[in-house]
Amino acid sequence: MWATNLKIVGIVLGTLALYTLIANKIPQVQSEVPQTLTLGANVTPEQLVAAGEKVFNGIGGCTTCHGLGTRAPNLLTDENGTGPIGARCGKREPGKSCKQYLYESLDQPTAYIVAGYQPIMPVMTKQLSPAQIWSVIAFLESQGGTVDVTASDIPATSSTSTTSPTGGGGGGAGAGGLAGGATDPKAIIQAAGCLACHKLDGQGQTIAPDLTHVGSRRDAESIRKKILDPMSSIAKGYEKLAGIMPKTFGTMMNAAQLEALAQFLAAHK
Amino acid sequence: MTDHAVLLLQAAADTTRAYGEFPLIGARQFIWITAEIHLMFAAFVLGVPMFAVVTEAIGIFGHDDRYDRLSKEFTRLLLVAYSATAIWGAMLVFGLSTLYPRFWAYLTAIFAPSMWVYAGLFFFESFTLYLYYYGWDRWKKGRAKLWHWTLGILLNVWGTIVMFIANSWLTYMMSPPRDITPTTDPTSIKLWHAIANATWMPINVHRVIANVVFGGAIVGAYASYRFLAATSDEERAHYDWMGYVGNFIAMSALIVLPFAGYWLGREIYQYDQSMGITMMGGFMSWLWVIQAFLIAVLFLTGNYYLWIGMGRIPGAERFQPYTKYLLIVLVLGAIVWGTPHTMIADSKELAAMGGSHHPFLGALGVMSAKNTAVNLMILTTFLSFLMYRRANKRPVVPWARTGTIIQGAMFVIAAGVVLFYGIRGYFVEAIVRIGYSVYQVLAVLSCILFVTVIDVLMGRGAQSLGTIKWGKMPPRSQYALFILAVTFTWLMGLMGFARSGIRQYWHVWQVMQDTSKYAATPALGYASKMISLCVLIFLGLVAFVFWLGGLAEKSTYVTTEKGPRGGHVGH
Repeated sequence: MWATNLKIVGIVLGTLALYTLIANKIPQVQSEVPQTLTLGANVTPEQLVAAGEKVFNGIGGCTTCHGLGTRAPNLLTDENGTGPIGARCGKREPGKSCKQYLYESLDQPTAYIVAGYQPIMPVMTKQLSPAQIWSVIAFLESQGGTVDVTASDIPATSSTSTTSPTGGGGGGAGAGGLAGGATDPKAIIQAAGCLACHKLDGQGQTIAPDLTHVGSRRDAESIRKKILDPMSSIAKGYEKLAGIMPKTFGTMMNAAQLEALAQFLAAHK
Repeated sequence: MTDHAVLLLQAAADTTRAYGEFPLIGARQFIWITAEIHLMFAAFVLGVPMFAVVTEAIGIFGHDDRYDRLSKEFTRLLLVAYSATAIWGAMLVFGLSTLYPRFWAYLTAIFAPSMWVYAGLFFFESFTLYLYYYGWDRWKKGRAKLWHWTLGILLNVWGTIVMFIANSWLTYMMSPPRDITPTTDPTSIKLWHAIANATWMPINVHRVIANVVFGGAIVGAYASYRFLAATSDEERAHYDWMGYVGNFIAMSALIVLPFAGYWLGREIYQYDQSMGITMMGGFMSWLWVIQAFLIAVLFLTGNYYLWIGMGRIPGAERFQPYTKYLLIVLVLGAIVWGTPHTMIADSKELAAMGGSHHPFLGALGVMSAKNTAVNLMILTTFLSFLMYRRANKRPVVPWARTGTIIQGAMFVIAAGVVLFYGIRGYFVEAIVRIGYSVYQVLAVLSCILFVTVIDVLMGRGAQSLGTIKWGKMPPRSQYALFILAVTFTWLMGLMGFARSGIRQYWHVWQVMQDTSKYAATPALGYASKMISLCVLIFLGLVAFVFWLGGLAEKSTYVTTEKGPRGGHVGH
């Protein structure tokens, strides 16, 4: 019976060893915690590119769509014969440099939709800090192009930031709220970039529901809830875009701003 | 308040002893091991009563005492296993309250009433078990036996409710309702609101089915050990039969499990797409390749056991030439299912691949190909079982030939539907393609259901080609049962890592961040070592439980002149 027992122990240990070995032979990817990004005044292009690569592959969440399927254009590899993003970004819009084009693409993603793709990209300047945004731009430029991002592009007040993947930290918001804490709803809308997706009084995009008559569909309480938790209710016909609206507006505004904005929109009957 | 400020506040709160440390192995490893082993024992003590109550019912209504004895034999093992479950559960709770006190305080602030109910139900469950086991011989006949069986059902009811309650805590950590934010006072959260979160019911269903699979697999391993240790042909026959029953139950429930997993995955995506993408296309994407390998081992080993088992059935020779074709389908299916697709890749890897997908393998890695592969593997396994079932029978009903043709046609139609939608899936949008998997699943399940019904009707009064020679199995068949049990247990650990790991550095997803030094979620290599360690500890303890069971009482198999009836056991 000892021989049988040994065989059983051998089979159990062998099976466990096989599974453990295979799991250790595949690429090892650890999910890191967001880290502080510090860029000094003398930051070099190489440092920017290295920092941007980390953001791109990590908390930026860029690889969720870019380079992993058909959701968004490939940035690191060729896209329809035009080369990687660094090689093509300067040719995308007449009169715009690569740096300008990339910044605007991150700040107003709906401005330049590549043919064949849906306008699903969130406003990254609301998700990442300016330091992170500019480092990502440097990284993208390095993909087949020349890096011309410098420390002077990054606002001095934001060269250090810690950003959770859920956003915050960027977009000009501080403890006092968006737009320096102004309670003018139009200033808040401008600072939050609502019109990048929503239309209001004839201005803005039509990716997300038109807000011109939002007051006839939602009261102030419902609007407040929607801003704080965009997933709390999804407008009919926009189910496919659920999850696109950033969840961070609630933490970017102060209470007075949130109230002013909710009342302003609720009055749009 | 910005997230930056929230993090700072949270960091400040951390200074009031948010985390403790465990000597030598560390806090997270301690919680990992205690939680995993507690869960494995919990699955055992929930899965085996399901097994016991079903086999007792077969014994009562089929007037076959062997099933009744089998049921009792396993209930005896439960007594010690319950103690082990409680011990590891207590270690987990003490670990959480001392090593993660802030998180534990948060959970108890929301779930305290359910924890009291949980403890109360555990009390009821334990005493129902004592009544069930110790009353076995006292309530053996007539109406009393039915009452005894009702106790078994009650035992399952308590156990299932206990599991549902515990599931609500862990699913809340994964998918807290969307109106709960980092600043929400936990005492203001309504209990039912927290319990009925997005992934609660999918996890409940998935775990109920998985527990049946697990219970069957452990029963199979127990039987195989006793088979190998048997000193007489009669004893060997008894445990051969028991191993067959355990394997049959495990494999039958396994066939349904992927569909429950699919529902859970869909709910995760609907709750938070980024969480779903992290799971399937993010840092966990390689995990599914390992899972595919394990599933392939399960299908191949399960079928292998059936094919060897045909060697002890007179009349099975006529089916054996076909097994090589079934093997080819299974291997091809496993290869397709294990093909990577949307792997997380860095810029160098993407450049080396020439794009986001492999130029050739990318086409096989998509969901259309994988769904087709797994559905064909399920159909193949069912065909293996059908051949096994019919091996020693020759139908005598006048419509036997027509029935067989209809059965064959059903297989062809089901495989055709699976292939049709699999191929068509390449030419439609993703949202349409996802819907196709429902048609594929329905085709397979319908085939299984109707073919089984026809087979049962066709088997009435069938001519026997000889009784099954229970016990006439080579030892390698029993080692296959061990591999199944180890693989099921390891798979449970792996899926537990997947479910828990997709929260990444959050105790409660996007509500309470893990700011301990263990916040980063480890890579699969490290996780695999932890899983193997947990499996080893669990199996070692289970072996000890089995040994104790053997010490306490002799095996329930009874020596008779006839030995175990060959007939149509398990058919």
